[in-house]
Amino acid sequence: MNQIKVKLTSIIAALLLVSCSDYLDINENPNKPSEVPMSLLMAHASYRTGDNIQRVGNITSYYVQYLASPNAFGSKDVQDATAFDETWQELYRMMSDVSDIMTLADEQNAPHYKGTAEVLMAVNLGLTIDLWGDLPYSEAFTGEYLKPVYDDDQSLYDVLRSLLDDALVDLNAASSELAPGTDDFIYGGDVDKWKKLAYSIKARYLLHATATGDASTSDVLAAVDNGILLNIDNGAIVYSDQGFDVYNPWAKVAIDQESAILDGWISEQLADAMNGTTYGVVDPRLPFLMSATDDGEFIGVPNGEGRGTNVDISGDRSVISRETYYAANTSPILIITAAETRFIEAEAALAAGNKSRAYDAYLAGIDAHMRMVGVESVDITTYITNATVSVGEDNLTLALIMKEKYVALYLSPETWNDARRFDYQYKDMTIPANLNPDLNGSYIRRLIYPDSETSRNSDNVPSVTLLDRIWWDE
Amino acid sequence: MKSSLFHAPRSPHRPAVRLAWPILERRLPQFMRIVILVLILIASAIPRLFATHSKGQRLDSVQVTLELKGESLERALKQIEKRTSYRFMYRNQEVKKVTGLTLESGTRSLANTLTLLLENTTLTYREMNEMILIERVGTGVSSAVSQSVTEALPAFTVTGTVTSTSANEPLPGVSIVVKGTQTGTMTDADGKYTLDTETGSATLVYSFIGFQTVEAEVGQRNVVDVAMEPDITQLDEVVVTSFGIEQQKQSIGYSAQKVDGSSLIQMRQTNVVNALQGQVAGVQITSSGGAPGMSSRILVRGITSLDPTANNQPLFVVDGIPIDNSTYETASGATENTPRGLSNRAMDINPNDIESLTVLKGAAATALYGVRAANGAIVISTKKGIAGQLQINASSTFGMDQINKYPSFQDKYGQGSNGQYNPEDIFPAWGAPISVANVVDPEYRYYDNVKNAMQTGKTFDNHISVSGGNKIATFYAAVGNTDQQGVIPYSTWKRTVAKVSGSLNFNDKFTATVSMNYTNSGGNRVPHDRFMENLMYYPVTRDVRNFEDEDGYQNYQGLSDNPLYTAKYSKYEDRVDRVLGNILLSYKPVEWFSLNYRLGTDFYSDYRQEIAPGPRSATDEFPISATGYIEDTQINSRILNSNVFAEFKKGFGTDFTATLRLGQELFQEDRRSSIVTGQEFEIPQFFAFSNAKQLLYYQELRKRRLIGAYGDLMLNYKDWLYLNITGRNDWTSTLPKGNNSFFYPSYNLSFIFSEIANLPEQISFGKLRASYGEVGKDTDPYLTSTVYANSLGFPINGQLGFTRDDVRGSNDLRPERTTTIDLGAELKFFENRLGIEFAWYKSNSRDQIFRVPVSEAAGYPTIVTNVGEIENKGIELVLTGNPVRTTNFRWDVLVNFTRNRNRVADIAEGLDEFPISTQFGYSGSTVTMKLKEGDAYGNIYGTSYQRYYEGDTPENLRYLDHGLPLVIGANGFPVRNTDQLVLGNAQPKWLGGIRNTLTYHGVTLSFLIDARWGIDQYDQFHNFLSAFGKLYYSENRNDMVVFDGVMADGTPNTKEVFMGQALGPDGVDYGQGFYRVYFRTTSENFVRNASFVKLRNVSLSYSLPKTWLQKTPFKAIGVSATVNNIILWTPWINFDPESFSGGAGGNATGFTGLTYPSHHEHFVHA
Repeated sequence: MNQIKVKLTSIIAALLLVSCSDYLDINENPNKPSEVPMSLLMAHASYRTGDNIQRVGNITSYYVQYLASPNAFGSKDVQDATAFDETWQELYRMMSDVSDIMTLADEQNAPHYKGTAEVLMAVNLGLTIDLWGDLPYSEAFTGEYLKPVYDDDQSLYDVLRSLLDDALVDLNAASSELAPGTDDFIYGGDVDKWKKLAYSIKARYLLHATATGDASTSDVLAAVDNGILLNIDNGAIVYSDQGFDVYNPWAKVAIDQESAILDGWISEQLADAMNGTTYGVVDPRLPFLMSATDDGEFIGVPNGEGRGTNVDISGDRSVISRETYYAANTSPILIITAAETRFIEAEAALAAGNKSRAYDAYLAGIDAHMRMVGVESVDITTYITNATVSVGEDNLTLALIMKEKYVALYLSPETWNDARRFDYQYKDMTIPANLNPDLNGSYIRRLIYPDSETSRNSDNVPSVTLLDRIWWDE
Repeated sequence: MKSSLFHAPRSPHRPAVRLAWPILERRLPQFMRIVILVLILIASAIPRLFATHSKGQRLDSVQVTLELKGESLERALKQIEKRTSYRFMYRNQEVKKVTGLTLESGTRSLANTLTLLLENTTLTYREMNEMILIERVGTGVSSAVSQSVTEALPAFTVTGTVTSTSANEPLPGVSIVVKGTQTGTMTDADGKYTLDTETGSATLVYSFIGFQTVEAEVGQRNVVDVAMEPDITQLDEVVVTSFGIEQQKQSIGYSAQKVDGSSLIQMRQTNVVNALQGQVAGVQITSSGGAPGMSSRILVRGITSLDPTANNQPLFVVDGIPIDNSTYETASGATENTPRGLSNRAMDINPNDIESLTVLKGAAATALYGVRAANGAIVISTKKGIAGQLQINASSTFGMDQINKYPSFQDKYGQGSNGQYNPEDIFPAWGAPISVANVVDPEYRYYDNVKNAMQTGKTFDNHISVSGGNKIATFYAAVGNTDQQGVIPYSTWKRTVAKVSGSLNFNDKFTATVSMNYTNSGGNRVPHDRFMENLMYYPVTRDVRNFEDEDGYQNYQGLSDNPLYTAKYSKYEDRVDRVLGNILLSYKPVEWFSLNYRLGTDFYSDYRQEIAPGPRSATDEFPISATGYIEDTQINSRILNSNVFAEFKKGFGTDFTATLRLGQELFQEDRRSSIVTGQEFEIPQFFAFSNAKQLLYYQELRKRRLIGAYGDLMLNYKDWLYLNITGRNDWTSTLPKGNNSFFYPSYNLSFIFSEIANLPEQISFGKLRASYGEVGKDTDPYLTSTVYANSLGFPINGQLGFTRDDVRGSNDLRPERTTTIDLGAELKFFENRLGIEFAWYKSNSRDQIFRVPVSEAAGYPTIVTNVGEIENKGIELVLTGNPVRTTNFRWDVLVNFTRNRNRVADIAEGLDEFPISTQFGYSGSTVTMKLKEGDAYGNIYGTSYQRYYEGDTPENLRYLDHGLPLVIGANGFPVRNTDQLVLGNAQPKWLGGIRNTLTYHGVTLSFLIDARWGIDQYDQFHNFLSAFGKLYYSENRNDMVVFDGVMADGTPNTKEVFMGQALGPDGVDYGQGFYRVYFRTTSENFVRNASFVKLRNVSLSYSLPKTWLQKTPFKAIGVSATVNNIILWTPWINFDPESFSGGAGGNATGFTGLTYPSHHEHFVHA
């Protein structure tokens, strides 16, 4: 028996040895590649950065009262302590992809990819800092640190600045072995436009930093000079009509509203700011921003109160609509525009005491925005020449700049930064009804950290309240 | 249980045959017709098979090698049992007397051997029904003469026939005694007897070894026929262990529990997993909900893998071949990823085809199955034909289901908010008192919409089987059909199973067994989660049943979709075609050696189609989906399993026997899934891909291979000491080269001390056992590398887009390892009428391969690594009892008790906690199941009301102390504590089940009570209901109350506050009110005790007396009525607590809520 045992064992062992290694060598993933060219990452990053901007805008637009819930006690309306996990995740996923492009660009000697990626990193990182303040960055993205530490938000602004400075160096490189082209859904690989975008973004963040003296108004104005001054250079993601998943995300909101998933209702604050109620002048941009009611009016819903009784879910109030500039299937998502750059210029110049430059920039900002959304020239002239708009350079105030910037940056996340810097002093803006009692009657100043961080990175996540401020707001 | 719930039982004449055939012809596909044809062919061949049947030849041809030195006859017979397929029946007192037998070593025919053994005794042998009867000379066949002792006046003559109920054959040699006298006789070869008694009022006692004693009153009858039931407890229990090997239970040193097919069928469950509920110790079953065909999850001895996505469920093995029991919920490609309640694939087995099921627990029990059985194994043996019997069984079951428990709703306040009447408001129940507003608006009245939206579910189950055979060939063929409609309208599920199996003994050396099982299953899965949520949002003052107009447009209230409209039009249909095939070849050239080869395949195609209609026309404002979409999912899975093993048996002297198995196994899993989604229909109501604007495609291939080599040595010393050593080495494709080969051993010891110790008479059997085992475990394919994934919606304008995948892989993975120590005892008392089985175990699973959820900022949301250790400890207790056993009445009891404790012994370097899963709750009441070192698995974290501590609140508080007083704020309301504290644990402290079976004549009443104790769950539905003012307790909304608690300084709270919304009677504005501001935002309110005691199953059955059937073609006809799932007690506020949100594939069983509610089930069966 022993002999048989030995024989059998050796036969089995032999069979195994012969076949094992080949037979078992099947663990290479057939579904997903372990390496991809930079261009495929760039395509995703440039297109989906637009989704991130909208994702953030769809939170902040309630805080700045562009939008309002049709139902009472809407949690964004009343500024509840909501953990926006998905927004955080998408921002970090995007930055991780972009960090891969940066690494690959270094390896493959492709400075134009690197520079483009650095700008995209700055855009996404900037959005994230302004929502949450302190963030993981120095230990982020690599997968090496499971509990990345939080970097101070003020130092992260230095990171933003150096990302953009590095981007300008890289974009200025004379040659790039590989360079973005059709995979760049923002500029199609136009390096000059990317440089303008980098300057405008830089101007935006320098402007925030002027509040604490970490940047000077002349730094801001220097960046503006090289930034986006014409609509043709606007930083925008152009969406495709190919199907629902690639539509402009505001169009998806409009589609929801069309099919009674109540979403994208306009706030009374915005409607009144434009329909003459607040400022006594009717803004010709109204139909380019929102739908008219069945009666042809532009009426919003007061934040926190809901639409009230006897208001039909369609046709009785203004909503985000696919008929407008902002929410058609193929509408662009704007990263930063000539209008915003002009308003940055106006604010910085005003602070620097250069009223004349400030006033010109103020009017240019209005003009740029009106042209962008497609207002007729005659209507532009009528509006701009209105005495409440053309106040003359001596009468220009920060409030006026903010009033116009508010309209021109419709749905942009940047408006919440403005609102906080401006202490929510927009005319007739009031604390929403049914405000979150934890806010003690004040406006929200930041987001709480997402649940995923609280539970997975509890050692590092700072403890904050909604009234704690981002560094430039302190 | 009202009798009106039952339909009248069908006529007992030819019950199911007529029912089943029209169904087959009408509905079955081509394939099924072929199966039926095969069935008919087999049936027509039966007479020929039986023609070759001849008795008594094999005892001469079967060879036995035996050597005895002064042994007892009993031991000698046991040795023969081990070496042949025969079993012996005898009276203990007769056989035990015979000792001192000596037999020279040699190989003899069995007949010859027995003759030698019984040479100088008063005993003889006789072959009967695959058994050998040892009896006194002069009884039985040869002496059919009446032995009655005639006394004074024979007044009354009784004749009759005695048969066996199991085989329906006459029983020769049965002893018949007139009770209280010495008068008696025996049955002859045909089972007939004649007996003279003094009067016609005597009672006759029929007894026979291996059968239960029967008493019958003559009652002036001249013919008394009796059917005797085999007494199973008197035979050695056999369990099926690894690879279909049958072993006597007494010889195994690990824990295994067997459930008979009849106990499973009695539950009338379509899902074999549900049928195990409460029947086995150490097993926890959690139904994911009550939908037809919905999955259930089974755990053996607790959670062994920490990975939130790990499958902690045991391996399912059918006839020696592992099968797939995965639950594949809606796929990642789905546009709307709402749970649909899909099936776990073990549902493709028809419980009616199961002969027995054995649960193998612990690493030692499953060591030979290797990596896939690290969580235990469920070993199923299907029904086989039995030589000598042609049986046709037909059965038909009809069942009705109703929701077994509703939450208590308030019916006083209607749609609106702030206590105001508003029939357009989003809030369904924060409005005016209905009785008040009803005066101005008669439409404003209460509708019990939750009840109104549900219906009575129905189940039809028909099954027919034909089986039989002779010594050369046996066969079993069956077709079963199950058809269910759920309690939520439009939910359906059907299953048709055809099974054919057969065995052929080519000669004494070579045997082949083949079996094939074809299943077609599937149904329409309603979006139950959306259904329950929409139902919750639905105003209490509108009738939910008016959900559409005559053109199919939704009657919409401007609030949310009508749940019934969604159920009707949001379709998700699945259709599974599955074939399980299995062939076993055995070659046994000599007594001591056999070679076996088993090849099995499990192939299925799972096709699903989801259709969400877009707008019905350009003017449709309330479509199911804004754009509409169609999604096809196709999953093809093929598992191939090849197993060859050689078995050597050898006796060493008379005391030792050794059995050695050596084998090799190959396992290959090949799975292809593809999902195609078409979005945005251009032509309304035309649901085709050609009509979709955008197509999205997702595909996944998955391949896994495994090679195992194993050895299994069993040593038997004098049938009272058994040692079993196994070893297995696996080579897997899923681990990195260099780490993909691993070895693990197991050791089992079984000691039958009752064989050698002089025990009191009351103890009939005693065994102690111990085992230690290790099991290695590999992981899913493709975790060794980090990859990129296609970005949704790409290509755009021809440009592809990629993004990082969710998981960071690792090329350093090592196999996981689980070690188990398992100690147990088994005792039987009072001639086996009381049995106790006890087990204690401890298992540690180390080096877990784990998709650790980490900070998103780390760059990947999850990271694969070997980390962590989890320890499970527990005890299991099984009691079997037969407290009453009289002629006409019998009472059997089976008790199971399980207690499992687990502890996360270690997580990972740099991590001391991480979440397994999170479930949403309103405004800060979201809860998380987290793992923390030192904690038990399943702790639920969330927000709570602040508690008052004397002195300072302790630092780093982790557990909520429910016993302390609440801290009440200056505004009079409880203060919320937003720190995440442990609010409860989702693992039960213990589980238990008691089955009682009472038999009186032909009537059997059986009931199973089971309990789950000490378990907490988060109730999301309750969270929602409280936010919307729907539950009974919110009727106090117009009250002024003082919250019980203390102020921050410890003094009692005295402040009176208003419970409602807006202005209170005290002139203070209370905003959204207590329930929305405080109650719904605090997780503590929704993490509740989910213990229950359930009357799981009550079954009343009646078999027509055999005598009634003599002139019919039927051998047995019975009817039964069953009621399942009556909740006797639970503190749970929502529907049945025994369900969870995630589907059986997940581990987050602590999260419940918007699932498909469970229900009572009422069945009648013929």
